[in-house]
Amino acid sequence: MLLSLEGLSLRYGKHLALDNVSIRVDRGETVVILGANGAGKSSLLKAIAGLVRPDAGLSLQLGSRPIAGLAAHKVLEAGIALVPEGRGVFADLTVEENLRLGAYAQRARAGEARQRDFIFDLFPKLAERRAQQVGTMSGGEQQMVAIGRALMSNPDLLMLDEPSLGLAPVVVGELFQALGRVRDAGVSVLLVEQNVSLSLALASRGYLMEVGRLVGEGSAADLKADPAVQRAFLGLTH
Amino acid sequence: MTLMTALIAGLVLGGTYALAAMGLTLQYGIARIMNLAYGDMIITAAFAAFVLQGAAGINPILGLLIAVPGGFLLGYAVYTVILAPLVARAPNRGVLEVDSILTTFGLLFVVQGILLVLFGSNYTSYTFLNEPVNVLGATIAANRLIALILALGLGITLYLLLTRTRWGTALRAVAVSPQSAQLVGIDINRAAAFAFALGGGLAASAGVVISMYQTFTATGGVVFTMKALIVVIMGGVGNLVGALAAGLILGLVETLVSTYADPGLTLAATYAIFLAVLLWRPQGLFGRAVR
Repeated sequence: MLLSLEGLSLRYGKHLALDNVSIRVDRGETVVILGANGAGKSSLLKAIAGLVRPDAGLSLQLGSRPIAGLAAHKVLEAGIALVPEGRGVFADLTVEENLRLGAYAQRARAGEARQRDFIFDLFPKLAERRAQQVGTMSGGEQQMVAIGRALMSNPDLLMLDEPSLGLAPVVVGELFQALGRVRDAGVSVLLVEQNVSLSLALASRGYLMEVGRLVGEGSAADLKADPAVQRAFLGLTH
Repeated sequence: MTLMTALIAGLVLGGTYALAAMGLTLQYGIARIMNLAYGDMIITAAFAAFVLQGAAGINPILGLLIAVPGGFLLGYAVYTVILAPLVARAPNRGVLEVDSILTTFGLLFVVQGILLVLFGSNYTSYTFLNEPVNVLGATIAANRLIALILALGLGITLYLLLTRTRWGTALRAVAVSPQSAQLVGIDINRAAAFAFALGGGLAASAGVVISMYQTFTATGGVVFTMKALIVVIMGGVGNLVGALAAGLILGLVETLVSTYADPGLTLAATYAIFLAVLLWRPQGLFGRAVR
């Protein structure tokens, strides 16, 4: 098992955003977390990444290493990279600088050149635009920068928070194709999405969340056929 | 005074302002601390140069080698002892801003008090290379020329470090987005302490440079804080090139106004161009409208 998370609860003031959530991701696996707006999907990824402080009593392990309570920069160093909702790119800096910062972690330094080649191969547009300021690029291109930056850290687990948000359908299709290649390269992926059909095509397994709780779990095929998933999403997105 | 003399004098003053403002913009842009005691750190370094020159016979150019590391260490100490606890307890940026303004406002009087006890309230100066040199037909004191070269040299070095090295890029990343900086593995608390210390080093260099050609007094810090703050806002917060350009503009305008209009109008001219920039480009000359 690569990531194991048990008993995660998180509060924003009095509001309980996550209620005793437990998930796991196996090595090489792509897992999707489905849920409507406000289900707590983003909070889950932020808690794993160390950006928010969850309640005590949580067990969080990457491989055999406990990583609960680590600061965000240490979680990254341990091997988990997050592409946050809204992309979080350094808009004032160039593509090149964003990627270079992606390899800031010690774990990334040795394989930096190889990882950069992989990313330029994955997103040839980034190679062409390497001197461009990221803030001046389109949403889809910025998402490529965000994913490329996360991959530069040579992560064991890549977490993506709604990468399709606000992008045109054709761009989303290209993006998921690229994510398929990332998966095939052996990177484990934990994905939060509202685009159910595309993400279930990418993932092998998934969880279903509703208002801070896990309400379902299964293989991608099972979830596709699950009436609860159908009701909650497919009817809305088609 | 010929036009060329006025222009060079303006560049000297502007280079000093730029040097001072670059430190403040690092402290505010990266460490997120609005340091109201900044000018007093400048004055402290000016007195340090005065003491080194007078008591130890160390000229101010060598004095930089002592004052700048000293300013760096002092900045680091102030951040870790006084400011880091505020950062740790602040629930958001707004609270930190208020807390740090109040704290550094207090620090201003502590530093000023110590300087008053040690040096009194008289204007102080020392003589260093006060000989005329000829530049492009204009006559200027050698100490001013050295001040300009030092200010530009230090500014350009800093700019290259911040844009051409990985850690420099990392510091700029913290200024652009602290949250994303954490996500690429940057320890933002360490970056903040380092940026604040670097700002202290720059304040010290500005203080030494100023002491070469200006008189200064223990209570004069606040003027430098104001000028540096104006330059930082004009250039865009956290923007080094902006600070450099705005500093030079301010120095030139002040000198031209005092030469060709009336020396009493320099402060008015300062605030007039500050106001004009704020009305025309509130984000600063080089700042971006939306972050």
